[in-house]
Amino acid sequence: MKILIVDDFSTMRRIIKNLLRDLGFNNTSEADDGKTALPMLKAGDFQFLITDWNMPGMQGIDLLKAVRADDKLKTLPVMLVTAEQKREQIVAAAEAGVNGYIVKPFTAATLKEKIDKIFARIEGGA
Amino acid sequence: MTVETVINDNVLATAERLIVEMRSGNEDQAAKALDELVRAREVSLFQEIGKLTREFHDALASFRVDSRVADLAEKDIPDARERLNHVITMTQNAADRTMSAVEHSLPLVEDIANVAVNLRAQWQRFQKREMNAQEFRELAKSIDVFLGTTETKSADLKSKLNDVLMAQDFQDLTGQIIKRVITLVEDVEANLVNLIKLSSQKVVPANTHYDAIKAEGPVVPGVKTDGAVSGQDAVDDLLLSLGF
Repeated sequence: MKILIVDDFSTMRRIIKNLLRDLGFNNTSEADDGKTALPMLKAGDFQFLITDWNMPGMQGIDLLKAVRADDKLKTLPVMLVTAEQKREQIVAAAEAGVNGYIVKPFTAATLKEKIDKIFARIEGGA
Repeated sequence: MTVETVINDNVLATAERLIVEMRSGNEDQAAKALDELVRAREVSLFQEIGKLTREFHDALASFRVDSRVADLAEKDIPDARERLNHVITMTQNAADRTMSAVEHSLPLVEDIANVAVNLRAQWQRFQKREMNAQEFRELAKSIDVFLGTTETKSADLKSKLNDVLMAQDFQDLTGQIIKRVITLVEDVEANLVNLIKLSSQKVVPANTHYDAIKAEGPVVPGVKTDGAVSGQDAVDDLLLSLGF
């Protein structure tokens, strides 16, 4: 499965990349902003998007909305991994069609659990 | 016809009258005309002062309405202090976590190395046929034990290395916090510049509008974030309650 990791901090991208590798996902790419991520998503054939919220160019919530608005990308599973945890933000993300929401700092176990949940749901046709 | 042109016309008329009376030698009338001119000057002077006072009052009022400066002093700067203290705490914790993991791991590696060295020496004795059957049986047993403990220790090591990796998660969060403090400092700077300008120019009130989903950065103890939930479990519960 081809996964795109988006976060403006390279440390976090590296952590997520390593965790995904431990879970058996070796085919990962990186972007440092929603702005650079969107063309990559449109051009590539990614099956999963993991993104931060707080980014200078295009925020994660806006990237999510852009993905859901694009014909080719609208069914792409998206997970937010972010320090943002206000009620309104979580609700907004859910309403915008996010598939998973992880708050930082997070554990490897949480990441695995949420990913499993997303893809179990997809396989189950939910 | 503006008030000013009316006033100017009156002044001109009075000035002309002054000249006429003086030329005619009518001292009383001339003095009266001069008085009127002086009074007209005073009136326009008072009007100017009135206008300035009004402008100054308005500027002060709008400065009070833009309570940004009060917010900065009472809330944002103390918040910034909390945020930066939190950065110190986080980096300290990360360093501790990392060092603990390393301290736990080094003896593990040393153990494995030491036993391996020992076993290798014995294995070489075996290869040189310097070993009897009993010794070989003991060697076989040792190797078996070694393989078992190496498996266990490797798993332990892997776990510790993962701890080290995860301990780096502070950098992203502290980076975000620091960026916010930088923004605050820039805000303070702008407001100070405004304060300086206040004496010569009317301050334009800020147009603040509440954005509920604006990015706020990581939650910091001691800094109130309205509407923040507490941790992954709370996030999961909220999403569950919304039917997701």
